[in-house]
Amino acid sequence: MTSPTKPQHAAPGAPAPEATQPPRRTARRSRYTRQDWAGAGFVAPFLAVFVFSIVAPLLYALYLSFFQDRLIGGSFFTGLANYTKALADPLLHAGLGRVLLFLAVQVPIMIGIALFAALAIDSGRLRGSGGFRIALFLPYAVPSVVAALMWGYIYGEDFGLVGQVFDLFGATPPALLSGTWMLASIGNIVTWSFMGYNMLILYSALRVIPTELYEAAEIDGAGALRTAWSIKLPALRPALLLTVIFSIIGSFQLFNEPNVLRSLAPTTITTYYTPNMYAYNLAFNGQQYNYSAAVAVIVGLITVLVAYAAQRVSNRAETGRKSK
Amino acid sequence: MSTEARTPAPVPTDNTTTPGDPPRTGGPRLSRRPPSSGRTRSSIPLTVVMVAMFVYVLLPLVWLTINATKTNGGLFSSFGLWFADDFALWDNLKALFTYQGSVYPRWLANTVLYAGVGGVGATILATLGGYGLAKYDFPGRRAAFAIVIGAMTVPMTALAVPTFLMFSELGLTNTVWAVLVPALASPFGLYLMYVYAQDSVPDSLLEAARLDGASELRTFLTVSLRLLSPGFVTVLLFSVVATWNNYFLPLIMLSDPKLYPLTVGLNQWNDQAGSSGQGEPVYNLVLTGSLVAIVPLVIVFLFLQRFWQSGLAAGSVKQ
Amino acid sequence: MNTTRARLQRSTGIAATLALTLGLAACGGGDGDDTPGSADGVTVADIDAVLESDEEVTIEYWTWVPDIQDTVDLFEETYPHITVNVTNAGQSADQYTKLQNAVKAGSGAPDVAQIEYFALPQFALSEAVVPLSEVGLGDLEGEYAASAWDQVSVSGAQYGFPQDTGPMVMFYREDILADLGVEVPETWDDFVEVARAIKADNPDNYITSIDPGDAGGVDSLIWQAGGRPFSVDGTTVGVDFTDEGTQQWTELYDTLVQEELVDVTAGWNDAFWRSFADGKYAMWLTGAWAPGSIRNNIPTSEGLWRAAPMPTYEAGTPMNAENGGSAITVMQQSDKKAAALAFARWMTTSPEAVLSQSQAGLFPATTGIMEDPEFLGTEDPFFGNQKTNEVFVEASQSVSSGWQYLPFQVYANSVFGDTAGQALSNATPLADGLQTWQDEAVSYGAGQGFTMAD
Repeated sequence: MTSPTKPQHAAPGAPAPEATQPPRRTARRSRYTRQDWAGAGFVAPFLAVFVFSIVAPLLYALYLSFFQDRLIGGSFFTGLANYTKALADPLLHAGLGRVLLFLAVQVPIMIGIALFAALAIDSGRLRGSGGFRIALFLPYAVPSVVAALMWGYIYGEDFGLVGQVFDLFGATPPALLSGTWMLASIGNIVTWSFMGYNMLILYSALRVIPTELYEAAEIDGAGALRTAWSIKLPALRPALLLTVIFSIIGSFQLFNEPNVLRSLAPTTITTYYTPNMYAYNLAFNGQQYNYSAAVAVIVGLITVLVAYAAQRVSNRAETGRKSK
Repeated sequence: MSTEARTPAPVPTDNTTTPGDPPRTGGPRLSRRPPSSGRTRSSIPLTVVMVAMFVYVLLPLVWLTINATKTNGGLFSSFGLWFADDFALWDNLKALFTYQGSVYPRWLANTVLYAGVGGVGATILATLGGYGLAKYDFPGRRAAFAIVIGAMTVPMTALAVPTFLMFSELGLTNTVWAVLVPALASPFGLYLMYVYAQDSVPDSLLEAARLDGASELRTFLTVSLRLLSPGFVTVLLFSVVATWNNYFLPLIMLSDPKLYPLTVGLNQWNDQAGSSGQGEPVYNLVLTGSLVAIVPLVIVFLFLQRFWQSGLAAGSVKQ
Repeated sequence: MNTTRARLQRSTGIAATLALTLGLAACGGGDGDDTPGSADGVTVADIDAVLESDEEVTIEYWTWVPDIQDTVDLFEETYPHITVNVTNAGQSADQYTKLQNAVKAGSGAPDVAQIEYFALPQFALSEAVVPLSEVGLGDLEGEYAASAWDQVSVSGAQYGFPQDTGPMVMFYREDILADLGVEVPETWDDFVEVARAIKADNPDNYITSIDPGDAGGVDSLIWQAGGRPFSVDGTTVGVDFTDEGTQQWTELYDTLVQEELVDVTAGWNDAFWRSFADGKYAMWLTGAWAPGSIRNNIPTSEGLWRAAPMPTYEAGTPMNAENGGSAITVMQQSDKKAAALAFARWMTTSPEAVLSQSQAGLFPATTGIMEDPEFLGTEDPFFGNQKTNEVFVEASQSVSSGWQYLPFQVYANSVFGDTAGQALSNATPLADGLQTWQDEAVSYGAGQGFTMAD
């Protein structure tokens, strides 16, 4: 967008359905040159893989969701029946409610901690900040399955590390794998895994704030906190939005952690604990592939809507800030 | 958005309705600033909080390392944060690499293959694609970009079931392709490279190369690629980590344990002592295997960290 | 025998109808030009011939039995021209998911697969496995324990070779009972008294645990109480947890759970084994395959365990049930059925194979070994030199007949924790919990096109 020769284009972000229409070419056909077509050549390999492994399954899911397949009686067209069933399905509602609660609580905490850590490491008031940066990022290297396995051992009320430590002090450990605590326990695993990742995105954004801004602030006599508030935070807005959107997507995709912990708490973590677990169990334990596809489509749509809403809120906040 | 469809002319899009604002500040975008403002007085409370976070982050890893040294029996009879009577790490490692006809080394090799080929492939495709989208105009470009970015928000795990069904119709399930091909498509990687290419490859350079008569591909290989390399390393790191840690897709795609990556294999071992009791418990191998699975990535992190941060910065400044 | 034949004929009719309807859906290919359900015309002569010939053949075998390779090695020594590739494709439900996926995809299934009895009706229904009668092996009844043969039978036809069984046994810690000065319980009433004594001695301890996510464990207990909640006749399926036997069990376990005499907690994990190692649990009510698990996980408890028959509801009337156990099945997808069948038959009937598997920890389903004095007389030092096999064989012989599993038991079991397991976890009346499980199963069955009997 810095060069006048380069045309403007749709901004990243809103995947509105309109955007999927073929571009209007009538008035512009003559503008394309051989050189432009070379650009298409650069994009083509990615698009081929993308269409094959993302677009096609998406369309296939749509197609499947209009059918029903029975163990006795085979497959037949059911129109929107799977969708009306899913929209009224209390199990799906329960799962969605759970991930929304998770989203509302865990994501702000995780990003808050990540933000704090990024600002702290960037502040120059920390000895060995490089070491902290690497250490905090390390859990990202741990596969979520392994992370959930480890924490599962640690959480144990009787024999886990938590239980053993409470025992040492003669206290009653919290039942971290019970219904009351489970979502928080999962939230802890996700926070542990991705805090450093988010910290790094935010930290990287802090590193590229132009030096002049700081110099100006210093001349104004602004303290560290004020600098953080009035210079760093606004500059972090895009990065924060990125982390929020990733976290929203991650919350709706929640599967590995609860699925691993299920062997420790089979009645707390039901087969429909998260929408994604529900879709998986419908398809692979119940052979209800078609209904599962409808559930997947609905969850996908909701994710897109929530991510889009987050972006709108962020933009509005930005507009408000600018117009002041 | 619909507003854009109605205004095809190259008019700057309105900042208030689209998130693609141009950078708000001029000047060198990626210049590295020396550690903040010259003052190096360290803050005690800040350090205390950070040390607490440090402990929180490392505690499970320390726990894993300690418990990887225990036997199955020792695991069930000793304190979690201290060693058991017999130190069995070497025995565990030996058992890990020979158990079930040495299947673990295969999982390790598979994971390296999936993460290597998938990660490198995804990065190459994303680099080419991001560069093409950022630096060229061609029919369908806007639509392609919008769809790809839209796809970033589609939960990949929700796609897994239809992907499985489609692949099984095509006879691709239970082959390495079932894991590799989906790993090659990284919309986030493309997006990062798109932003990075916009910022780091000046159009004037491309024009100059064209005047010299260089083909577009040649220009890319000789001029642009070097400028893109920090972004390339960043995307590579993220793609490799994503594939290395992938669990859901291989879980449903693969039935032959000889094709499993580490994540699926380790979880199978963990479930192995399962309900009908015929399975043999190998919790010690699960823990040792988890430790071994993490080490290569940690090493990659430490070695590559100098490169990826500047690349990541570009992506995080824009939206 | 007459009734068996009549049932067999009827079931072939049903199978044919099923094959027709299912054939409509089975368009994935892979079956070639065979009519669905046929076993490629393989006969006993073909099966015998494949062992005699020296034509090289390789078959794929999915199983999660540990150390099964030892037995397979024996087979390969005897028949060097047949190579068997053993694959552990996951435990139980994980493997069934993969197997089901392969059936759906039309390819990718092994030639031979381990399938637990509870899951067999599902694979029989979808004609995924070869019925023994179709290849002339329907007359092997005498080779296997009655309870095992019963469990590979679905609507009168047999769909696999019984590999092992799990007659329920009460494993108990002799030292704990002795310390408390209580007798080994013979009836469930005794059992409740012992449980109360344990609780009174230390409120942190329990007589045993029950896993609220394990449908199989509860099924076995209901079976042992005389309940027969599942009924299958072709595509007509019934689920009813209100019969007398089931009520007998819910009353007993309502007491045990509500008085907190048994620990309601997931099994097979870190905490479960530590509880045994620590003496928190005094007993384990489970299948006769348990000694291997105990040995592997709680080596420190060597010599402290004993095996005894399950407590009974009526003194002096032994009534038992099965817990777990598997069949070796041959998949219809296999294009080496003769070799696959020959291998599966050898695994479950040849004395050396059965002995080898029993040494690996399986409790055999074959009658031959159960009458073998050497087998019966084996003293197990882990059990204080008790002749445990005697207890197990007796347990096997007192298994009551007539138990059936649903043709969608894998799914039904997967939602057990969502429904009946909740009643266990929350100590609410078990009959209500079972009712929610029943409702879920009935609604699923109806949705899948089964005729649900009320």
